[in-house]
Amino acid sequence: MSTPDPVPPDPPSPAGTPDPPSPAGTRPASVPRDVLGLLGPTSGGPAFDGYRPPPSDVVADCVHCGFCLPTCPTYLLWGEEMDSPRGRIHLMRQGLEGEPLRDSMVGHFDACLGCMACVTACPSGVRYDILIENTRQQVERRHRRPARERALRAAVFALFPYPGRLRLLRGPLRAYQASGLRALVARSGLLPRLAPTLATLESLAPRLTRAPKAPDRVPAYGRRRAVVGMLTGCVQSAFFPGVNAATARVLAAEGCEVVLNPARQGCCGALSVHNGRLTEARRFARDLIDAFAETGIDYFVVNAAGCGSSLKEYGELLADDPAYAQPAAEFAARVRDLAELLVELGPVARRHPLPVSVAYHDACHLGHAQGIRSQPRELLRAVPKLELREIADPELCCGSAGVWNILNPEPAARLGERKARDVLATGAQLLVTANPGCLMQIAAAIPRLGGTASARPAGAGGIAVAHTAQVLDASIRRLPVERLLSPG
Amino acid sequence: MARPEIERLTGELRDALGDEQVIDDRARLRTYECDGLAQYRVMPALVVLPRSAQECALVVRACVAARVPFVARGSGTGLSGGALPHADGVLIVTSQLRAIREVSPADERAVVEPGVINLAVTRAASPYGYYYAPDPSSQQICSIGGNVAENSGGAHCLKYGFTTNHVLGLQVVTPDGDLVRLGGAAPDSPGYDLVGAFVGSEGTLGIATEVTVRLVRLPETVRTLLAAFASTDAAGAATSAIIAAGVVPAAVEMMDALAIEAAEAAVHCGYPAGAGAVLIVELDGPAAEVEAQFAEVERLCRANAAVEIRVATDDAERALFWKGRKSAFAAVGRISPDYIVQDGVIPRTALPEVLRRIGELAAERGIRVANVFHAGDGNLHPLVLFDDAVDGQAERAEELSGAILDLCVAYGGSITGEHGVGMDKARYLPRMYTDDDLDTMQLLRCAFDPRSLANPGKIFPTPRLCGEVPGRRKGAHPLQEAGLAEVF
Amino acid sequence: MPRPDTTAQLDALRAAIATAGGDSETGRSNETGRDGRAGEDGGAGSAAVRPAGPADAVGGVPARIVAAPGSTAQAAALLRAAAGLGLSVVFRGGGSRSDWGNPPRALDLLVETRRLRGVVEHAAGDLIVVVRAGTPLAELQRALAPAGQQLGLDDPVGGATVGGAVACNASGPRRMLYGTVRDLLIGVTLVRADGVVAHAGGRVVKNVAGYDLGKLVTGAYGTLGLVTECVFRLHPVPAARAYVRCRTAGAGTAGAERVGRLLGTVLGAQLVPTALEVDAPPGGDYQTVLLLEGTPAGVAGRAEAATRLLGADAVHGPAAPPWWGRYPWQPGDTGLKLTAVLSGVPDLLATARAAGDRHDVPIAVRGSAGTGVLYAGLPAAAGPDRVARVVEELRGAATEAGGHAVVLTAPEPVRTRVDLWGPVEGLELMRRVKRQFDPDARLAPGRFVGGI
Repeated sequence: MSTPDPVPPDPPSPAGTPDPPSPAGTRPASVPRDVLGLLGPTSGGPAFDGYRPPPSDVVADCVHCGFCLPTCPTYLLWGEEMDSPRGRIHLMRQGLEGEPLRDSMVGHFDACLGCMACVTACPSGVRYDILIENTRQQVERRHRRPARERALRAAVFALFPYPGRLRLLRGPLRAYQASGLRALVARSGLLPRLAPTLATLESLAPRLTRAPKAPDRVPAYGRRRAVVGMLTGCVQSAFFPGVNAATARVLAAEGCEVVLNPARQGCCGALSVHNGRLTEARRFARDLIDAFAETGIDYFVVNAAGCGSSLKEYGELLADDPAYAQPAAEFAARVRDLAELLVELGPVARRHPLPVSVAYHDACHLGHAQGIRSQPRELLRAVPKLELREIADPELCCGSAGVWNILNPEPAARLGERKARDVLATGAQLLVTANPGCLMQIAAAIPRLGGTASARPAGAGGIAVAHTAQVLDASIRRLPVERLLSPG
Repeated sequence: MARPEIERLTGELRDALGDEQVIDDRARLRTYECDGLAQYRVMPALVVLPRSAQECALVVRACVAARVPFVARGSGTGLSGGALPHADGVLIVTSQLRAIREVSPADERAVVEPGVINLAVTRAASPYGYYYAPDPSSQQICSIGGNVAENSGGAHCLKYGFTTNHVLGLQVVTPDGDLVRLGGAAPDSPGYDLVGAFVGSEGTLGIATEVTVRLVRLPETVRTLLAAFASTDAAGAATSAIIAAGVVPAAVEMMDALAIEAAEAAVHCGYPAGAGAVLIVELDGPAAEVEAQFAEVERLCRANAAVEIRVATDDAERALFWKGRKSAFAAVGRISPDYIVQDGVIPRTALPEVLRRIGELAAERGIRVANVFHAGDGNLHPLVLFDDAVDGQAERAEELSGAILDLCVAYGGSITGEHGVGMDKARYLPRMYTDDDLDTMQLLRCAFDPRSLANPGKIFPTPRLCGEVPGRRKGAHPLQEAGLAEVF
Repeated sequence: MPRPDTTAQLDALRAAIATAGGDSETGRSNETGRDGRAGEDGGAGSAAVRPAGPADAVGGVPARIVAAPGSTAQAAALLRAAAGLGLSVVFRGGGSRSDWGNPPRALDLLVETRRLRGVVEHAAGDLIVVVRAGTPLAELQRALAPAGQQLGLDDPVGGATVGGAVACNASGPRRMLYGTVRDLLIGVTLVRADGVVAHAGGRVVKNVAGYDLGKLVTGAYGTLGLVTECVFRLHPVPAARAYVRCRTAGAGTAGAERVGRLLGTVLGAQLVPTALEVDAPPGGDYQTVLLLEGTPAGVAGRAEAATRLLGADAVHGPAAPPWWGRYPWQPGDTGLKLTAVLSGVPDLLATARAAGDRHDVPIAVRGSAGTGVLYAGLPAAAGPDRVARVVEELRGAATEAGGHAVVLTAPEPVRTRVDLWGPVEGLELMRRVKRQFDPDARLAPGRFVGGI
């Protein structure tokens, strides 16, 4: 469980240490004003090796303007430079200049939620996404974390990318919620960190029933406009099978033949790639590409924001793999978020009224990572009688961030509460978002503020939650709005 | 490097403030080594993050007792190196002092801590129909404390004035470590206008720990137009015509072709293609006034050969006009690997002449200059573009940048309109002021900071020591004998 | 008949001025259009320095010598010589506020700015003016008018010079829109106590190079140095003006509260008044007057809107009320400046009236309700003890309202009974500033806060 990923084979890379970055600031470096030289060399080897270090030219793109700071959740929480994107890029720069990878440095890289709000905010176009991803795989390979932390991470990565394992857990989780099992797991060390998250998932998920096995293919309704593959995902398939079903129905209604191929598809690798576990991520990616290689799909649709952004980067992920570089790039080009594809194709299915007020939350990996903000709003606005409300500070992460909330429960809770407060302030009846992580994170925070949140009945002062697909599905199928507000 | 006084100070401050508020880890310290002007880098000996005015005063007192210099820093977005740390000093960071203590629309006042973000004041006041008028381009991240230190301006200061016109009262920690109140909530406090002296003193007279600001009524109407011209001369003539007509616009901003290109690349603001210059003119105020004057402005733009005029039809379009302008500095990173942001002021009527001269100077040196400026008040921001990788370019750019300042002084202007003198322009200050002028300014500094511990080395080109008996020349100080300082 | 040492000092000062060249050689400004006054005095300095006469007193303290330098260089030479002689110095412009502040502790040399007169440069296109400190405000406004421009500063006493307005931080109704000296002064030439000439700021509105010494000397009562030349930002003269007046009946708290509601209504509306004044004559009704400026159409519309807002009693017209822009006192009276946060204005009005009634002193209050700066006048005939008690109560109310009560001028019996300035924040720092600029405390000694 705790074996670290093997170091990937070193691809051809520039020999020796990476070039020192060119000056990044607003003035030339020609005049030697840096007094740091006086301090002499530091102990320990340089932070990064030659395999995919954070690219020095990307680091140099940062002009240190600080526009990223107010959008960064950790800067908002702690107000410290090293826990801001600008500070982290500075730490990377230090690493490239030869500073060692000490605990202090790693701590600030780890603290990054990877929400990419800074990428949106950056006027200089710094690709922080590339920087943090490369840095994380360096950290995973080159830094040894304390034993407890290693164990927790191992547990997380042994569980979440595996829908089968998640599904198996659901029974015990219900028992956990209902019984004194809570006390039992409290003694086992790791589970207290995992259990609250899983328990929240379970509380939001529809009752555990033997869900009908997903079909291999769902035919298009009416004239076929496209053949689309669809990711069923890990958390989504285990806890929110209804979202997947709704997604498939909406696609079919819009004239898509949907290829699910449930037997062969597993995790897309997003969680791994976002946490620097490159080898694992590549394995998942190759498997998924293989699974859909012969299916003749025009598009590959994803309904989970975090997965979608990773899938779109398969080309870069497998660029070093001669056998997969080409197929990965081709596959990535077909990847679409559900909302993105629906807007691209244009609606054919009739929308029926849903008299409901909706607060739409931008999942970071949809808004910031994929730039998809207008499409879901456009789709929701097209539903008659649906009133769309905006949440204050929409660029701010809710604190879910993949497994960040498991690894950093206390700050994640604070971010969740902040977001929940803004969501409740809209006074909307239904919170809609396109990522299971966000849904769970915000829903978990609402009770702490004294409200209720559930995919089941929404009480006074509370709010019901749903995925965009479920709203569209309800509208197209002419379901009563109560099904969204209390789908019991 | 053994610095026993720093070690003692570290221990003392850890005891007083707690470990988390004191940073002495090398990697973390280095993230504070520069502000928004990233080419000057000095690692501070210690970083301290006070959580209250009292803690801030305590830190200063500890510095005084240890004879250790201190530098205050807000969000670290300054463009003159004003918050550049002192290598043997303490950097006092106000980013955790971010409470908005009071918003009082009835009194048209707000009381905020120095770490509060400029835009946050407006956001807190806007529900009541008020806002905070000074709007530096970095308003989404720059702090009020930093604004006070730098007397920050912004696009709208043409009509509304600078920070100094909007600060009524301060609580400051003096360089002695005393907490003192200056000014107040009501205007015209008796005695010397020490608020006026403190605002814009760049951290050399102490640290603001609470700021009472004026709130301004949100205007009834805001009308914004974007006018494209064939040349900066034509745009300049239009500006002159508008001012001569007795119109006081809220803002008149100009960008030349190169700046337009950069902004377009960064934020796709959709400025008219092929324009030699664009003007953004904004009028605000009572609807009846604005309508009458706006028609006049439009007419004057056409009369001065505007090739295209767009009038913002809604807030979104207005925001887009401004987006290109406000992101222009950082956006230049898209068209040039390195650049210098210059900040100088000329009498507005000299604009065409000075721009021509800048063009000539640039051509002589084979350097490109993009121009962004507050045309209404003659505040130029030439962006000197260069590539550090090309031999000699950095030096030529630096030299050109200085020549532009000389030009500003020659035309009766200033070497800085809003970025401050800081570290960067201390050597240029004597080009604008005589020794006697600077001596007189130093009298004020000596009154506040007789030990020269508050942000030493900023603003003034040569360190000066304050005589023990103020105003009287005493026997030579060792530094004076060594030719390093002058006592007066 | 001057004292023997006075004669020697006269000679020394004359000699100093004579070495400083002709008039108006004010360093930088001599490059630009002078107004042809140079040479008026032949540079000899004989007429520029004279023994003091009976009219040459400040706050009742007679001067021994009067000097009127004709240029910054002459002023510098004069002050350098005065420093050498250890003379106490007070500066005088129009003399319109000579009775303000405490009388000087000592007064050897009275320096007049009357010969530092005239506009040096009016750059209309840049909306700035460079003007010598001894220029009367009214003369300056006349010089600017042909270009359709103005300095947005009122002259409530009449006859004030530019330098005097700066030194006393004078302001009037229009401060609500244009601000005060600190907002309009963008450059200053200053002669220090030791005769050193210093400049700060410049000729451009936007400028953050170096310390803003212009603000430091504004309202400093000449205790830090002599301002010889100022650069101001200007504003266009508006095309149209209208005054909207409204009378509020009722004495005491109820009336003041009604005025308060009016103020709230005006501030909350979108009228952007240039001035919002209140006038409360002793025992009379309150009158609230709004000045609107702008384009003819805009002003007409806003005047109508304001009239509707202020209620049935409101009327509008082109003329200002007779008291507009004047302090509510006569020479010899006690005059106070009362400041408050905006919401504190009604309380201050009510307290003033109540204190006047209680101590049987007719008290007139008037001022900029829209900025929280009011003035109060108590007649010279009122008993000094009663006036002192009123001042104390007003000071309490002003402090309560976040502001101050400063006695600007008062007859001698009142002066001895009250602290003119009242409590001042940051006084220790102010003393340190004074020690740096004037270590021997020779400039206007004792006139300013805390005995500075």
